[in-house]
Amino acid sequence: MSKLLIDVGSTYFKICDNGNIEQYFRNFDKDISDDLMDTCAPIIKKYKKEDIKICSSANGGLSTLIIGLTESFSIRYAKHIAYNAGINIIDTVLYPKIEEYTPPFEILDVVIIVGGIDNRAKIFDEKLIEYLKNVKYRNIVYVGGKNDIEFLKKRVPEIKVFKNIIDNRLQINEEELKEYLTNLYQEDIVGREDIKHLYKITANQIYPTPYVVNKALPFVREKLNAVDPFIVIDIGGATTDIHYSRDLVDENVVMESEYDRLVFKKLGVYKSRENLIFSAKNNEFVYELLNYLNVTENIFEENSKESLKILMQLAIFLVLYKVSKYHELYIDLKLERLKSIVITGGIVKVLTKEDIEAILDFFYKKILKHHLIPSIVIDKNYEIWTIGMTKGIQ
Amino acid sequence: MSLFKREREAIVRNEYAEEFDFAEIEEFVKKADKRLFISYKFKKEKRLLAQPRGGFPTYEKMFELYKEFQKVDTDIFPLTIDSHTRLNDYATAKKMLELSEENEVDMLNGYPLINHGYKTTRVMVTHFNTPISLRHGTPDARLLVETALASGIFEIEGGPITYLLPYSKNFPLDKAFLYWKYVEKVCAHYSQFNEPINRESFGALTATMVPPVITIVIQLIEMLLAFEEGVKSFSVSFAQHGSVNQDIVTSNVLKKLSREYADKLGFEDTEIHLVYHQWMGAFPYDKELSATLIDMSTFIAALVGANKIITKTKEEAFGIPTKEANAQAVANTKYMIRILKNLPKINDEEEEEILEEEVRSVMEAIFNDPADTLWRKVLNSIKKGIIDVPFSPHIINANEVITVRDPQNAIRIYEKGKVPIPKRCFEYEKSKIAVKGGRKAIVDKIIKDIGIMQ
Amino acid sequence: MKVVTGVVGNDIHVVANRLIEISLKERGFEVFNLGVNTYLEEFIDAVIETDADVLLISSLNGEAEGWCRDLFLYKQRFNFDKVTFVIGGNLGVGETKAEDIIPKYKSYGFDLVFHQIDLNEGLDILEKYLKEKRS
Repeated sequence: MSKLLIDVGSTYFKICDNGNIEQYFRNFDKDISDDLMDTCAPIIKKYKKEDIKICSSANGGLSTLIIGLTESFSIRYAKHIAYNAGINIIDTVLYPKIEEYTPPFEILDVVIIVGGIDNRAKIFDEKLIEYLKNVKYRNIVYVGGKNDIEFLKKRVPEIKVFKNIIDNRLQINEEELKEYLTNLYQEDIVGREDIKHLYKITANQIYPTPYVVNKALPFVREKLNAVDPFIVIDIGGATTDIHYSRDLVDENVVMESEYDRLVFKKLGVYKSRENLIFSAKNNEFVYELLNYLNVTENIFEENSKESLKILMQLAIFLVLYKVSKYHELYIDLKLERLKSIVITGGIVKVLTKEDIEAILDFFYKKILKHHLIPSIVIDKNYEIWTIGMTKGIQ
Repeated sequence: MSLFKREREAIVRNEYAEEFDFAEIEEFVKKADKRLFISYKFKKEKRLLAQPRGGFPTYEKMFELYKEFQKVDTDIFPLTIDSHTRLNDYATAKKMLELSEENEVDMLNGYPLINHGYKTTRVMVTHFNTPISLRHGTPDARLLVETALASGIFEIEGGPITYLLPYSKNFPLDKAFLYWKYVEKVCAHYSQFNEPINRESFGALTATMVPPVITIVIQLIEMLLAFEEGVKSFSVSFAQHGSVNQDIVTSNVLKKLSREYADKLGFEDTEIHLVYHQWMGAFPYDKELSATLIDMSTFIAALVGANKIITKTKEEAFGIPTKEANAQAVANTKYMIRILKNLPKINDEEEEEILEEEVRSVMEAIFNDPADTLWRKVLNSIKKGIIDVPFSPHIINANEVITVRDPQNAIRIYEKGKVPIPKRCFEYEKSKIAVKGGRKAIVDKIIKDIGIMQ
Repeated sequence: MKVVTGVVGNDIHVVANRLIEISLKERGFEVFNLGVNTYLEEFIDAVIETDADVLLISSLNGEAEGWCRDLFLYKQRFNFDKVTFVIGGNLGVGETKAEDIIPKYKSYGFDLVFHQIDLNEGLDILEKYLKEKRS
């Protein structure tokens, strides 16, 4: 018997019943499982618990703060691992200058502390303890050199310690931290009251959506005809995810996966609409872009179908701009080498291929000075998600 | 449309490439003169063929170079690609080509094939009607190879390992495997229409103290990966080691095991050739001595029964040779080959047995990796240091193997790192080494060993 | 003693780099080799992560100056009192004289500057320097 696939998102959920995908806006007055049952009970009742698979991004993912010794090793490696485990990075702190940082205001799901190879003198001292006093967090983990473990365990008793992510050749060691973060994410999903109720429906483990998408990427080449090197842009209600082929970056890191992930936390078209507009207004090309799309700035004030479409186009533009060499980020993607751009998520219901083409034309001609744009692959039927749910996770 | 076809269309759609007419290209390959195919030449002429190296930025200079090669009846022409194109940076290649065309100075160290395009290049290729070999060093050669084949260049050098580990620091190896899989597929595709396209591995690797076991293993692997995708004609290769006996031993083992592994994996219907690179290390700063070194290399190529020799020039130590010097080198090599007759067949049973055992042991370790595809087994083996190329700049390379020369100049394994060299073989290797003067002396020894021909 | 080493900038001289690594190991140093094409920030960060005693930068294509000029800025930013900074290789383009080159690199913050000096000779000087520094 075929499986029923369910994705619980921050703004809507979608259901894949025998290849047929339906989407429903969420009703936030209701508990998720009640909401789901109210709309889809007849479908859900057709399936046995074992045949229902659920993934969720409803919680918007976990948040982390990284405190590391250097940018090139500690912080960079922790960022890679966190992003690929589906975690949002709130901020990073360069430890030697920790006194200059203000702790984040929000409550963090996990704080990651890292620094040094194993065979090295102690790094962390009272400065860290002072700083942590003002940080609100649920979990804290240490993945640095051996000689700090004793001190940290004594002063931060709740700290969990895993294998150093920097090995003795200064290369990355992903395994243990990745596993811990992935599990934490799972626990978080399971621990949420409203999601907990979903286990009344399914006998299978509930996975985080970004994890499912990442698992699908090696199949995307074949199933969706995307040509390497490609990127997948997933613009959601609250955040935007990019998954990219690793040969688009020039980095001295050997990673397990062919693809890497990057998250823009406050860049979505519903929940973080204000933030999106704010970053758009601060981009030097945006007025030319609006002009090119034949709309005025007033579009931001509107609440229409047209304005939603423009916002989504803007989101694609901003994301490309942020990963290009024209913007300082921890990675620069070689976009001139890109062969395909895969667009997935709620956005494909709003934008047509022409709308996406228009924005890519603008970006490639204006910013990269290229005449040809990469091929556009629209994941209309959420195939990446279905591939991930059926082939990626077993 | 098939997946492969759609992929090809995406690859050839490029800012710097002309539009590809696949139907026309297939027609061209079908009707192409057999003399353009090196696989055909190998079949027809059972003698040692000579091929120089060379590439200039402009069409005119490339044409002049070929004219010079033609004068000395060069068997195979080279087309060496510039370093920007190798890194897929066609924008810079374009700029530098324009500057080279406007001024008399060459701003590129090779021929920017993408920018010239296949239609133009094909005119030159068909004019000379001699097989051409594409020499590059590109991890992602998909567009380059499409353009080369469309131009009538029917031999493609390289491979996911031999064009990555010696040249790149951080290009992801898994992607290199996938991109070369595409190259093999395209070569296999065009092989149906006429004589087969020949693929050649670059066994010289870093050309610095690489022990034969590593060279042979990588040759076998790249050959098998090509055959898996349907390639029918393949050249394994290696570069002069510095010890005549080691060259003979390497050649005998490589010939035996390449055929054996190909057959064992079900690729009986394939042709395997042997290519020998004249000395690839540092040359003496003396043209006359260099000429002697080159003559010696040619002699060895004939002695080991290679099918093709790739030549150097006596100006090697002084930069890019003139077209005249390059052609003269071919003429000398060809002369040497012509007068060398009736060479004895030599083998060294003990050495061959040891080398064979080493190769089999490493191959077994690779095949034992739990991954489900050969390329992934190889990728994991490189990560684990089972394959370890001395002096590779790539971050994935283990860099634990250390080699030195024995008193007969043969390259011996001094430290084996994680390469699974059987105990007996490693003891044999060690027994040959005679380094005097404690640990500090080893580096002086290696420096001397690298510069042995200077 | 720990040494971070590598070739700076757009320089691909891997043979020299590897020989330096082997030499240092044979002399008993613990070596962290960042390889070819390494940038100053990576060198500095590697020194911090490993708590190295020596940073040994090599350059063979003569273009080191542009890549290493900012060393003094990093020395102002972090406490590197116990670290010895060494650069060696071919440090100038064309016929540059050692007497012109050495003071320039010293002014950027290098303690030892080896211009066109034999590898073992340079490492002998380094070992002597480290011995004196300790006592």
